[in-house]
Amino acid sequence: MPDWNSAIKKIDNDAASVNTKHHSELFISEVEPIIKLNLRGKSRDFLSMVGKILNIILPTEANTSTNNEYITALWFSPDEWLIFKNNVTNRDTEEIKIEENLFKNISQKKLGSVTNVSDQFVLINIQGKNVYELLSSGCPFNFNDFKNKKGAVTQTILNHTDVIIYNEEINKINLFVRRSFSEHLWSWINDCASRL
Amino acid sequence: MSENLRITNNKFIDQTTTISFKFDGKTLYGFKGDTLASALLANNIHLVGRSFKYHRPRGIMTCGSEEPNAIVQVGNDASMTEPNARATEIELYEGLDASSQNCWPSVNFDIGAVNNFFSPIIPAAFYYKTFMWPASFWKKYEYFIRKSAGLGKSPTEPDKDIYDHRYLHCDVLVVGGGISGIIAAKTAANNGLNTVLIDDKNYLGGTTLFQQNECFKINNSYSNEWLKKEIETLNSIENLTIKTRTTLAAYHSYNYLLARENLTDHLSSSKKKNKIRQRLWKIRAKKVIIATGAMERPLIFNNNDRPGIILSTSIKKYIDYYGVKCGQKISLFTNNDSAYETAISLINSGVTVNSVIDIRDKTNSLIVKQAEKLGIKIHWKSTVVNTNGYKKINSIEIMKLSDDSSGVIGKKINEECDCLGISGGWTPRVHLFTQSGGKLKFKDKDNVFLPDKSELDQISIGSCNGDFELDEVIKNSFKLTNKFLNLNNNDYENLEIISSKEIDKKNIWLLPSDKPLGKTKPFLDFQNDSTAKDVKLALREGFKSIEHVKRYTTTGMGTDQGKLSNMNALGIIAETTGVKMGELGTTTFRPPYTPLTFGAIVGRNVGEFFDITRKTPMHDWHVENKAEFENVGQWKRAWYYPIKNENMHKAVQRESKAARDSAGILDASTLGKIDIQGSDASEFLNRVYTNTWSKLEIGKCRYGLMLNEDGMVYDDGVTARLGENHYLMTTTTGGAANVLSKLEDYLQTEWPELDVYLTSVTDHYATISICGPNSKKIVKKVIPDLDLTDNNFPHMSFKNSMIGKIRCRVMRISFTGEHSYEINIQSSYGKSVWEECFKAGKEFNITPYGTEAMHLLRAEKGFIIAGQDTDGTMTPVDLQMDWIISKKKYDFIGKRSLYRSDTIREDRKQLVGLLTEDPKEVLEEGSQIVAETNKQPVEMLGHVTSSYFSPNLNKSIALAVIKSGKKLKGKKMFVPMENKTINVIITDAIFLDKENKRLNA
Repeated sequence: MPDWNSAIKKIDNDAASVNTKHHSELFISEVEPIIKLNLRGKSRDFLSMVGKILNIILPTEANTSTNNEYITALWFSPDEWLIFKNNVTNRDTEEIKIEENLFKNISQKKLGSVTNVSDQFVLINIQGKNVYELLSSGCPFNFNDFKNKKGAVTQTILNHTDVIIYNEEINKINLFVRRSFSEHLWSWINDCASRL
Repeated sequence: MSENLRITNNKFIDQTTTISFKFDGKTLYGFKGDTLASALLANNIHLVGRSFKYHRPRGIMTCGSEEPNAIVQVGNDASMTEPNARATEIELYEGLDASSQNCWPSVNFDIGAVNNFFSPIIPAAFYYKTFMWPASFWKKYEYFIRKSAGLGKSPTEPDKDIYDHRYLHCDVLVVGGGISGIIAAKTAANNGLNTVLIDDKNYLGGTTLFQQNECFKINNSYSNEWLKKEIETLNSIENLTIKTRTTLAAYHSYNYLLARENLTDHLSSSKKKNKIRQRLWKIRAKKVIIATGAMERPLIFNNNDRPGIILSTSIKKYIDYYGVKCGQKISLFTNNDSAYETAISLINSGVTVNSVIDIRDKTNSLIVKQAEKLGIKIHWKSTVVNTNGYKKINSIEIMKLSDDSSGVIGKKINEECDCLGISGGWTPRVHLFTQSGGKLKFKDKDNVFLPDKSELDQISIGSCNGDFELDEVIKNSFKLTNKFLNLNNNDYENLEIISSKEIDKKNIWLLPSDKPLGKTKPFLDFQNDSTAKDVKLALREGFKSIEHVKRYTTTGMGTDQGKLSNMNALGIIAETTGVKMGELGTTTFRPPYTPLTFGAIVGRNVGEFFDITRKTPMHDWHVENKAEFENVGQWKRAWYYPIKNENMHKAVQRESKAARDSAGILDASTLGKIDIQGSDASEFLNRVYTNTWSKLEIGKCRYGLMLNEDGMVYDDGVTARLGENHYLMTTTTGGAANVLSKLEDYLQTEWPELDVYLTSVTDHYATISICGPNSKKIVKKVIPDLDLTDNNFPHMSFKNSMIGKIRCRVMRISFTGEHSYEINIQSSYGKSVWEECFKAGKEFNITPYGTEAMHLLRAEKGFIIAGQDTDGTMTPVDLQMDWIISKKKYDFIGKRSLYRSDTIREDRKQLVGLLTEDPKEVLEEGSQIVAETNKQPVEMLGHVTSSYFSPNLNKSIALAVIKSGKKLKGKKMFVPMENKTINVIITDAIFLDKENKRLNA
C-alpha cells in the first residue's frame, strides 16, 4: 500500500501529519487530505442531479459559495464549481464512492463533467487578525468587501501564483493552490507572515 | 553643535534628544527630528558637495525632494551604501554616516575643481563635439569619460535589506498632507468614503504647519494653530488611513499608483535590524485628489550657486520648524511676497535680515507692509548682479534695474551676508498629474503650468492647482473636493480667513548683470552645471524643441530631474525665441517622481522568491539522490543524476545506455494533463488535432499534433480514450497552460455548440515512466495483478489498476522507442510508488534518468520536441510528419493554412537527420548549415536543432532544419564554426530501430 505524502515538505518535526505554523495574529495550516471534485455543466438537469446526490444547491451567483454539513461548493464560473469536504476524511474509500456516484450520474449521462482534483489542489487554512494584511502583500484583489462577506470566493493570484480564496469565516480563509506551487507559496506565506 | 545657530523655542523637533552622526568622517550632533541638512546647517556646515561638471562648491539649497546640490553617499558598507541621497530628506538617526559626493580627496580640497577654471572652454555639448574625432580615439576617450561619469558609488554586494510590496484599494487617495490635502481627506472620510492620505514627510501640515504670522489667520487663530487642531481630529476618523514617510512615485493609467513608504530609514542600525526597510504600495484608487503643493523657484543671476544661497521658504522652514538659523546676517532676493514671510520669521527669531532685494517697483501687500513696519530694508526694483565667496557666500552685489528691467543702472551696492535667500515664485507640482496622462495649460499671470484635462477620475487642489493664497487654497480645495466627490459638506464654508494677497507680480527669467552674459555664470541646473548661457548656445546652434535643448545641455537630467531648473529653462527659451511658454510646452515628467531604490521595486522577489518554483511529487527523492535540476517553465525538473564526480556528459551517457540496456525511470509528472468530458469530446479532438479521433477505441492512446491557426506546430502529446465521452489529453510541460487556455477559448468563442468540458489535472497525477527491455518485469513486481502480456496490453493502450488500495492508470506509451509504461497515480502517492518502482527495479539496475537523457533517447528515434525542433515556423509537412494530417476531416485548427502557397513551398526548411563525418564530433545546437564555404556571402540553409553523442549508436547524431531538406538526403554539407568547418551528411531523422522492434522487446 503506497504511503500518502503531503505536498509541502514537512519542516517542523511535530506530531501533526501536515504542516502548521503559528505567527503573530496568524495561524497557518495545511488541511489534508480533503476530497475535492471539479464539476462542470450547464443544464438544469445537471444542477438538480448534483443537488440530489450531494444534497446541496450549487451557487449560481458569481464568486459565492454554498454548503451543508459535509460539503462546500465554490462558484468558479457559470458552468464550473469546486466541491470539497468540510472535514479531513478517508479518501481511499469515501472519495471513490462520491466521485463514482457523481461520475456515473452526471458524466456518463452526458449532463456535464466530474473530475477528481483532490491532489490538483492543496488546501491551506489561514486564520487570525492579520489574514488580509498577509494577502494584500502579494495579491492585487480588493478584499475590502470580501473580508466581511462570509462565503465569498475569488480566483486570483498570490505572489504570482494562481489561487482560489474562500472566506470561511471572518478572518479565516481557505486557500486552494495547485499542488506543484504549494511548497513555494507556503514558504512565501510564512516568510511574509513572520514580519506582519 | 554650534549653539548659536539653534533657537530654543522650537516646538517641532525634540531638542532634549541629541543624536550623533558622521559627515565626511567628522562626528557631529543634531536633535531627534532633524534632517541631515538641518543638522549640518545647525553645525554651520553649508558646503556639502561638488557639482557634477565644474566641481564647484555646493551647499544645501532647499528643504525637500527638489534638492539639487546636497546629495550625499549614505553608509560605507559594500552592500548597504546608498548614493545620491538627498540630505534634505534623510531623517537624522544615531549612527548615520554620510559623505560628500563627486569630490576627491575631500569636499574642501577637490582636485576636480580645476574644471571650474576651464569652464569657459567646456560649455554645453563639449563632450559631443570634442570626442567624436578622430573616431579611432574613442576607445581611449571612453575609459576616462566613463570613469568620470555618474554621481556617487553603487553598492558592490547584494543588498541585505528587506523590502516589501503591499496592495491597497481605496475610494479616495489624497496625495499630499498639506492644508488642502487635509481638508480633502477629512471631507472624504467624514462622508463615509474609504480614504487614504499620504505624505512624504514624517508629519502632516505642509508649510502651513509653521506659518505663525498675523497676516495669515483662520477664525482668529494663527493658520498653524487652526491646522494643528484639524490634524488632531484626523486620528479619530474611522475611514481614514494616514501614511507619512510615503512618497507617491508613479501615477499610471486607471488610477493605479505606486508609493514608497520608508519604514526604517529613520531608525538607528540596531533598531532597523530584520525589519522591512521600504514598502512599495500598489494602490488602486477609485478617485485621486492631488494636493502636492508647489515648489519655490530659484532666481537666475550671476554666481547664484554658492553655498549659503538657499531658497527663501526653506530658510523659513529651517528657522521655524527645525530651529536652525541658516546664517546670522541674511539677505533675501525675491520677485514675490514669499521672501517677506521669511524675513519676518527671521526677525522674530532674532536673526539679522540685511535687506530684501525685490525686482518689483513697489508693492503694498499686507505682508510687505508688516515687514516694512519691522524696519526691514527693501531695495525696490533692484537685482543681485553677483555673489562672492568660494566655499560660502560672504557678500552680494546689488544694482538698480533699468526702466524696462532689461539692464542695470546706477551704483553697485556691496552687501555683506553669510546667507542669501532667493525666491523666484512658485511652480505647482504637476508631475503626478502629467504622469497620469493629464494635459497642462499655461497661466500667463503667474507664469505657471496648471492641470487642465484628464481622462482619469482625479482632481488637483491647492497650490498644485495654482492657488497660492491661503484663503483661495482653503475655499477652492473645499469646493473642488465637494464637487468631485458629489458631496454637500459645509465644514469649511464659513471660515473667517485673513490672508495677505500678492498684489504686484513681476518676473524676469534671466536677471540682467553689469557684465556681458558670456562673463557670468547664471546657473539653471545646479546638479548638472548647465547655465543660461548653455541654453542660449543650444538655441543658437539650432535646437528648438525643449526636449532637444534638454538633452543637448543636460538641463533637467540629474537625479532631481530638473525640479528647480525646468521652468526657468523654459522661460529663457521662450524669451529668447519669442515663443509663448504655453506653446513651448514642457519636457515629459516620467515616473518615479523621486528616485526609487531597486530594492523597493523588487520587493521580496529575491533569493528563493526570485521566481516561482513548481515541484513534482517526487522532487524530494531527486534532491536526496543528488539530481541536478533544470528549469522548464517554472518547473524544477531532474536534469541528470551525477554519480560521484561525473560531469553532465558522462551521467547522460550512462543514463541513456542503462535505459536501452535494461531499465530507466523518469519523472514525467510535469507534462500537462487535461481531462476532457462531454458528448462532443471526440468531435472536439477532431477539430483540435490534425489526425482523426472518432474511431479511437476506449482503452487506447493516440499521438496528436496541434497546430496554430497559421498551420504551424503548436503542441503535441498523447491522448487516451478513457470512456465513450471521456479523454485524457497530455501536452508538453511548457505548453500546458497555454494549450488549456487556447482550447477553452475555442470552446467559449468558436465552438459554443460543442458539449465539452475541460479540467486541468496536471497536478493531480504523478507520472512515473519506466522504459527499457526490463520495464515489464519491474511493473509486474509493482502491480502483480495487472496482465502485461502484449495481447492484453499492447503498445498505445492503457489499463486501470490498483496499487494496494489506490487506483492508478498505466499507459503503454513511449517517448524513447523502448518498451515503456507510464504509471499515473494521485500525486500524494507519487513519491511512494516511485520508490516502490525503484526498489522493484534494483535487480535490473533501474537507472533514474533526467531530461537530458530523455532528449537524447528521443533524438535517437527522431521524435521531435515542440519548442526545440520547432520554432513556430514548422508545419507537420516540414517535420516530415505528413502521415499525421488527416485528408478526410472537414476541418481542424490550421488546416486551411497548410495549403497556402507559402506552406506548400518545397524549399521550406524541413526536419532532417545529420551525421558528422567524424562520428566523435558533436555539433553545437544552433550551428548554421551551409552548402558552400567559399561563397560570399555564405548562404545559410538551416541550423542544428538537437545534437548529442549517442552511446547506443556510438556516434554523434543531430536533428536539423534545412531548406529542401527532404530532397537532400545523402548530401554533404558544412557546419562552419569559429575555428573549423565540420563536414556533415544529411540523413533520415530516425537513427535507431527504424522498424520499432524495441517497442515490443
